[in-house]
Amino acid sequence: MLVVDRHGRLVRANDAARPILPGAASGVRLHEQVPAWLADAHQQIVETAPPSTVTRALRGNIGDRFFEAHPTVGADGDVMWWLVDDTDRRLAETALSDVRRRSEVLSAVSSTLLSTLNVPRCMEVAAAMAAEHLAEAAVLVAPPQGRRCPLTFARQGAPVVQTTRQVDVAGVPGLAEALQGFPPVPARWINPADIPDWVLPEGFAGPIGSVIVAPLPGHGVPAGALILLRSSTEQAFTEGEEVFARLFAARAGAALSAARLYTEQATITATLMQDLLPPALHRVHGVEYAGSYRASRDHERVGGDFYDVHPGTGPSQETLVVLGDVAGKGLDAAVMTGKIRNTLHALLPLAENHEHVLNLLNGALLTSRHARFATLVLASVRRRADRVRLRLTSAGHMPPLIVRNDGAVEEAATKGTLVGALPAVAARTVETELAPGETCLLYTDGITEARGGPLVDELFGEERLKRALAECVRMPAEAVVERVQMIAAQWLSGGRHDDMAVVAISAPKAGAPTVADGQGGGRPGRSRSSE
Amino acid sequence: MSEPVATTAVVERLWQAVSDGDEHGAARVVHDALAEGTSEEALLLDVIAPVQERVGVEWAADRITVAQEHAATAINERVIASLAHRPDSRRNTGHRGRVVVSCVDGEWHALPARLVAEVLTLHGWRVDYLGAQTPTPHLVAHLHLTNPAAVLLSGSLPTHLPTAHATITACQAIGVPVLAGGRAFGPGGRYAKKLRADRWAADARAAVAVLDQGIPRPDTSAIRHAVDDLPHLADQEYTWVARSRPQLVKQTLVDLEGRFPAMRTYSDAQLERTAEDIAHTVDFLTTALYVDDPGLFAGFLTWTADILTARNVPAHSLLSGLDVLAGQLHDFPRTLKTIELGSTALSEYAVRPVPGARA
Amino acid sequence: MSSLPPTEFSLTVRCEATTLTVLIGGELDHETSDELLSEVSEQLSAGHPPFRDVHLDFGKMTFIDSSGLTALLMIHRRTSAIGAGLHLDNRPPTLERMLQLTNVLDHLTTPPTRTGDQRAEEDDGAGVT
Repeated sequence: MLVVDRHGRLVRANDAARPILPGAASGVRLHEQVPAWLADAHQQIVETAPPSTVTRALRGNIGDRFFEAHPTVGADGDVMWWLVDDTDRRLAETALSDVRRRSEVLSAVSSTLLSTLNVPRCMEVAAAMAAEHLAEAAVLVAPPQGRRCPLTFARQGAPVVQTTRQVDVAGVPGLAEALQGFPPVPARWINPADIPDWVLPEGFAGPIGSVIVAPLPGHGVPAGALILLRSSTEQAFTEGEEVFARLFAARAGAALSAARLYTEQATITATLMQDLLPPALHRVHGVEYAGSYRASRDHERVGGDFYDVHPGTGPSQETLVVLGDVAGKGLDAAVMTGKIRNTLHALLPLAENHEHVLNLLNGALLTSRHARFATLVLASVRRRADRVRLRLTSAGHMPPLIVRNDGAVEEAATKGTLVGALPAVAARTVETELAPGETCLLYTDGITEARGGPLVDELFGEERLKRALAECVRMPAEAVVERVQMIAAQWLSGGRHDDMAVVAISAPKAGAPTVADGQGGGRPGRSRSSE
Repeated sequence: MSEPVATTAVVERLWQAVSDGDEHGAARVVHDALAEGTSEEALLLDVIAPVQERVGVEWAADRITVAQEHAATAINERVIASLAHRPDSRRNTGHRGRVVVSCVDGEWHALPARLVAEVLTLHGWRVDYLGAQTPTPHLVAHLHLTNPAAVLLSGSLPTHLPTAHATITACQAIGVPVLAGGRAFGPGGRYAKKLRADRWAADARAAVAVLDQGIPRPDTSAIRHAVDDLPHLADQEYTWVARSRPQLVKQTLVDLEGRFPAMRTYSDAQLERTAEDIAHTVDFLTTALYVDDPGLFAGFLTWTADILTARNVPAHSLLSGLDVLAGQLHDFPRTLKTIELGSTALSEYAVRPVPGARA
Repeated sequence: MSSLPPTEFSLTVRCEATTLTVLIGGELDHETSDELLSEVSEQLSAGHPPFRDVHLDFGKMTFIDSSGLTALLMIHRRTSAIGAGLHLDNRPPTLERMLQLTNVLDHLTTPPTRTGDQRAEEDDGAGVT
């Protein structure tokens, strides 16, 4: 409590006020002792006639404390100033709003980082957010790949720059430790002058004032390190900020590790699947081939259906077409398709006798562990003049359908045992010929067992497939395949389905050589790339 | 564009070859024009694209069969492939960055997307063309792996708009912006806007321009539900009608049989066709409810009227179907209003002599 | 979308002297066929005295896919191993068609060799590698 007269001279200060205003002896002028905000307020009160108490709240610092000031005007014109120390409440409020802001930042960081599973993108986002919320600039150093480190530079208000460079990690205090997963080196131990130039993002207005090097903890192994920079004109990092930076780094590290793990898995899967994906088909030795594969949505891109075309060594040699379906679903089934495709490839020289090939394949697949089987169709194809000769054999599979030029749709009269489950198999091969414009269609039961239709839950069935094919008279192989897939897709109208594979073998129409015999006839979807 | 007279003649010649199913002739027309100096982009967009458009128009007018339509499309695809794979083709430096071109899951009209992919490649973009029938989860997995600058999402049939919406949201949720294109997104791209695609482009050239300007990354922390973009979905009418599709189709068939005893003599195949037509109508109705635009439904009805008229089927049967459908949906005001506006549009519609392009 | 919930898969087991009967209800597919196989295998190994006949009753089965057929082939290996006959009763048309198409009906239902069948089946069953 202070009493100040109308001339601004101190009359009295109580015991509590003295430690705050050590020079407060009676008679000294107020403005020499207290900050302007209080002296001015006093001046304003006494100049008002009659002197009256101001109603607005008066707040301000005296020394390093924060006060609310409440004046009371006495009858003699003296003003009694009650000073209430508000420092602690004020500190608590600031801390609370900092905490709120930080938890908002952390939540934004998490949702943004977790939205991507792409490693470079994840690093880009992490560095950009660090520069925005924590520092003036941030550099994310990923663990070295060989001798070089992927680096991500971010500066407030500038685009993120990503590069991979050979840098001297040991030259940055605390960085080598952070990349090896050691506890962080406190910011106050890092001398900004020791930071090498490569750490500075382009356009950073140095010199550096303070630095934090935070490890990015990953799934057991470090996911990298984050270097935060402030220039010397800015306030140095506080201890609270250092703690916050570590929280931020923990989230960034978790997200980055998840992205890295996903990428590794996806790359492995993609590599393994490359051989399992159906090939692009095109014209071979004067015969048109087209194929299409639509994987069930329930699993991955590969499943139990497969097809291959093995071109004959010359136009006079037979080309072998295989289409089949392994019982069961998922990766197990896909692995078995790989085995079948490889085995058949090896058995090509014996393809003159389909039943023999099927028995050898059957023997190769048999195991006591399970009775997983496959059904398939073999088609040996050779062009003779303008006609195409076919030898067709079904091994427990739906017989091929042949679209004749008069609109008839014939079922090839071949029948045989499934492969992979019984000690021996039997099969009957049929021979037929395609006139120019005619097509032979191989398909899996994903087509005929498609459930849907206008009344829902009806099987598409063979009759509908035959009706659809009757509309495909004289259509090129690709168009037939597209038509069949489209009608099946319409039938499903978005419902669940099994794998669906279709291969068409067509005798080109007379006098209609095609644009490109070979690579030109790619079907869409072929450029499907995976990295 | 720069050579309108020349391209008109080339379009006509290509159309002749394509409609005759003459693949070799089609390739010759295009490669000759290329040799005479027509640019590859002009061939793709001012020759092949209009010819493909015409394939749809001619089918709608019942002047070519389904078989011819598919054959023509297959030939166009092959001609495009032969352009892309010719030895002197100067393309794919990929210096502009990487983009993904995909059709909406369920869409089988892949050619517009294919054209866009080729044109972007010519402009120096590295393009991952995923084509038609790419399930959305596969698309999303691909985006995670490749982190492209944008996804170009192509749709022709409006009935795939709800799927398109889910795809758009899924791409944006992982920080990849979506550029929508194709007839499904409506005149002026109005549905692209409703479904909150980041951008829309009227055609391949516009898409190139949009990508040139760059599309900012969407804010991934603002993940949305369908109902956030389309608040009218809260009335549940879309949900209910979509879920009741089989019952609606069945009941409509039964009621129509009551009205038109002749239907009782229909063969199974005929009945199935009728059921398919009704199902198709219900699909467009639900889509109109999804985007809250009765005009979408009305547009489908008048287009169907054209198709029917071209095939000498009386179009007034459509009105009876709508009437029966409305009878089952009296609890749903927004649905009823959509049907009502459709009926009005249909009865006022003077059938044009040459039907419009396929939807 | 369908409002009709599919019939739930069910197995009803009946043991009478040397005859095991399993009634299969609902869909026999990749989600349920393992259950059938392990149920039958357990019954066979527990059978006292050993079963001489195993009846699978398909009267209430609504659907079967290739995984279902795999289970039938495995069950046949097990029944053959103990010399029991396998009987596929009340076959619905879809099952009948599947067995015809894949050409395994005879294999599955031919009585085991102990009844004097001349077909070479010795190498069938668990011994095949």
